[in-house]
Order: sequence, then structure tokens, then C-alpha cells
Amino acid sequence: MNSAFSASVTGLKTFLKSGYEMKDPSTEHLHPPLTEAQVIANLRQTEDFSDQYYAAWWLGRMRSRHPETIPLLIAALDPLQDNPINSERRAVALNAIRALGILQATNAEEKLRILLKKNDYSIREESARSLGMIQAQAAIPDLCELLSGSQDEVEQIQPGSAKLKEPYESVLEALGAIGVASHSVIIMITPFTKHSRPLIRASACRALLQLTGDQKWAPPLIELLQHDDPLIRRGVLLDLGATGWMPALPAIQAAAIENSLKLVALRGLAEKSEDTSVLDAMDALL
Amino acid sequence: MHASPLEGAIADLQAAKTTPELIQATKNLCNLRTVGAISALIEVLGFNNPAVASVATAGLIELGSQAVPSLLVSLDEKNYGSRAWVVRALASIRDPRSLDLLEHALATDIAPSVRRSAARGLADLNLIYPEESSKLNRCLLALLAAIKDDEWVVRYSAIFGIELHLLKYNSINKHQCIMGLKQLSSNSESIKVIRLRATLALQRVNPS
Repeated sequence: MNSAFSASVTGLKTFLKSGYEMKDPSTEHLHPPLTEAQVIANLRQTEDFSDQYYAAWWLGRMRSRHPETIPLLIAALDPLQDNPINSERRAVALNAIRALGILQATNAEEKLRILLKKNDYSIREESARSLGMIQAQAAIPDLCELLSGSQDEVEQIQPGSAKLKEPYESVLEALGAIGVASHSVIIMITPFTKHSRPLIRASACRALLQLTGDQKWAPPLIELLQHDDPLIRRGVLLDLGATGWMPALPAIQAAAIENSLKLVALRGLAEKSEDTSVLDAMDALL
Repeated sequence: MHASPLEGAIADLQAAKTTPELIQATKNLCNLRTVGAISALIEVLGFNNPAVASVATAGLIELGSQAVPSLLVSLDEKNYGSRAWVVRALASIRDPRSLDLLEHALATDIAPSVRRSAARGLADLNLIYPEESSKLNRCLLALLAAIKDDEWVVRYSAIFGIELHLLKYNSINKHQCIMGLKQLSSNSESIKVIRLRATLALQRVNPS
């Protein structure tokens, strides 16, 4: 799994699912250009949360290799152990979790695994994604634990929200990205290929296609590319790209989705397959 | 009294509510193949509806150079979605009058999709070599600057454009371009697909 690719796709998928019209995530960048040293200082200080928040995002986005980056991002997770948790510090921590994933900070693994047990859906969701990007094999049992439960339990909508009990999509994607195709992982993922929510089915098929290479998991993804809901089409398109499954190329090219997103999906395919025909397909979408 | 086909089509477009209705009305307007439809088609690009905008863009591209003067003055600063469609139409039409706009968009637009399309346009404007070498060189220098863009897809588009220029024209900046492509193919570039594309460009431009 190419982690840099999954990182950029992760941001995009989170954004797509938030229900807004598609836009380029980088247009969030409204601040004047900062130097890396300034950004590091902004993350270290604890007076201005918005500076910290932006710094945590920036360091991941710019793939900072500064020696202080990872220790400071890990330190930004500490406020999640407070009771009650300050909501602004929580927002900084969420960005730090994402950045640690993008930067493949293996030494954050322990802390991220602990966060999978937090009583906070978004924290579990982002921690699972980042553990996937880090390819943290030690997290597999914790991730599988989040998939456990009866069929009713995994379909049950939580009171007062549209969320399910656990962030199944990010957990399934993480297991696919980590890449250990053990029997115990496969049997935890498989039931989700029949989930009522299309994007959860897609995440399960994506993970199984990545883990087993068994082509029987591809047709459900290709079929979901025809779904009426553009948000589902877009999410599935990115899933197909992430699998690196070359026969998906024509379906990705033909999908009724904007070129910007097709390019992201094809990037995934190109990086996994290293096949120049994918690059030619990308050229035609510029 | 009968309205003209153009007036009828514009009235249908104004009355359309759903996406299928908007698509059909836009298609009808495109099929008239008349310069009178240009301003209505450009307006459609701002509806924030990609399915409809892609139909309108195709219609504008088909009108070709006739649509260029209106497109050049229609950039909406607040709507990057609409700007992306306008730049894409200009890039496909390949009219050299778009050079200033594409150059400016590639260097300054905040939306990566706009910069990507601008780079695509600068790859292949309808310029005559060697008579218009100075304009071709402006295109190439703009593309060369864009290989430092923060957004991978803009760098990708710039590589595509540089490759096309080097294959078609003999440029005084060839050496500089090769150095740029070499850098993008090395590990100093963090995005793998960029390294792959730059490597491919080098193979095509400099077959050994």
C-alpha cells in the first residue's frame, strides 16, 4: 500500500463524506506562506489553538521531516487523556492523528492504539486510518475488535446521529492497508461485504481485494460506480484506485465523476501497478 | 408570435429545474451551434453542477475560437468551479489569445484544478514553430515554473506539457527542462506518480 497516496485519499474521502460539494482540499489554505520553523513554533505554543490546529495540518500536508515534528505531534495527543477534554485541544489532536499517519510515524503506534479505545467516534475513526497508513501490524487485534458484534449491532444507528457504533469504513480500510491476510482478519471483514450501507460494503470489498487478490471482490465495486448518489460513486472510485486492480482502469475512465477525482483514483492505480497505460489515461484527463 | 430557436432554448434553460432538465436544455442550446448561445453556456458553468457544466463546456469547445473572446472575460473570481470549466474550455480550444490568461492562472490561481487545466492548455496552444518561438517559450517557462507547485496534480500536468514541447519543438530551454524532469524523477520528489511520470517523460525525450 502506498501510504502517501492513501493519506491524500483519506483527506478527500473524509471531505466527501461530510456531504459538501466536492472541492480541492488545499483551498483551505488561506494563510500566508509560513516557514517550517514558524509552523513548528506554532505547534509547540499552547496559547493560540487555531495556530496549533493549522500547524498540525500543515506538517502532514507538507510531509515535514523536521526532527521535532513527530515528537510535537505526539505531544499534541496528550490532551485527549484529560477529563473533560477541551474541545479545541481535541480538534488539534485530530489533525495531529491524521498528520502522524501521513508521516508514517511508527513511534506513534502505541498511542494511536490506545486511542482506538476512546469513547469518541472521530478519534477512533482517525486513529484507525492513521494506523492503517503506518501499517501497524500490532494494531490488527484492536482493529478487528472494533468490527465485532452481531449483525444487528453493526447496523444499529446511534441515537441522535447518523453514525453507526464504530467507524467501520476507516477500520476496514486500515486492515486492507496493513496487508496481513490472515484467516482471522478475513473472517472479520467478510460480513461487511453485505452491510446495508454501500460505502461500508465498498470498503470491505476494497480491503478483501487488497488482502486476497481474489477478483471476486471487484464486481461489487464496479457496480457501485453506477450508483445514483454521486458521493457513493466518488468514494467507490477512490476505493478502486487504492486496490491497484488494473482491470478497473476502463471503469474508472468511464465513470460519471469529475476528472479531478479520477486523477486521484488513477494515481493510486499507477503507483501500485507502475503500468504506463495508467499514466496515458491520466494524461487524457488533464 | 414565434420565438427564435435560440430564444426558445434559452427560455427552456431558464425554466429547467432538475439536473436531467438542465442537461437536456443545455444540449439543445449546444446543438444550435451559434455564437448567440455562448453567454448562456458560460453562465451554465457557474451553476455548480458538474454534469451540466461538462455539457456546456463541450458545446463551447465545439464553437472553438468564436467562444474565446467571451471566455476570456468571464473568469469568476469567487467561483473556482466555474473558473476550472472556463480554463478547461480555453485549453481545449487552443487559441493563442488564451496565453496571457493561462499563464496567469497557472501561476496564481488558488484552485489546483484550475492550475492543472491551465498547464494542460499551455502544453498545446495552436502556435506556429518556429515563427512564434517566443510565445512557445513563454508557455514552456510557465510550465517549468509549475514543476515546483505544491499540488502533485499540477506538477503532473506541467510534466505532460514539458514533454509535449520537447517532443515537438527545439527549445533553447531544453537543458533546463531535462534537469527539472530529472529532479522530479528522483527521490527528492515525495509523490511516486510524479517520479513515474517524470521518468517516462525523460525516456521519451531522451531515448538512449
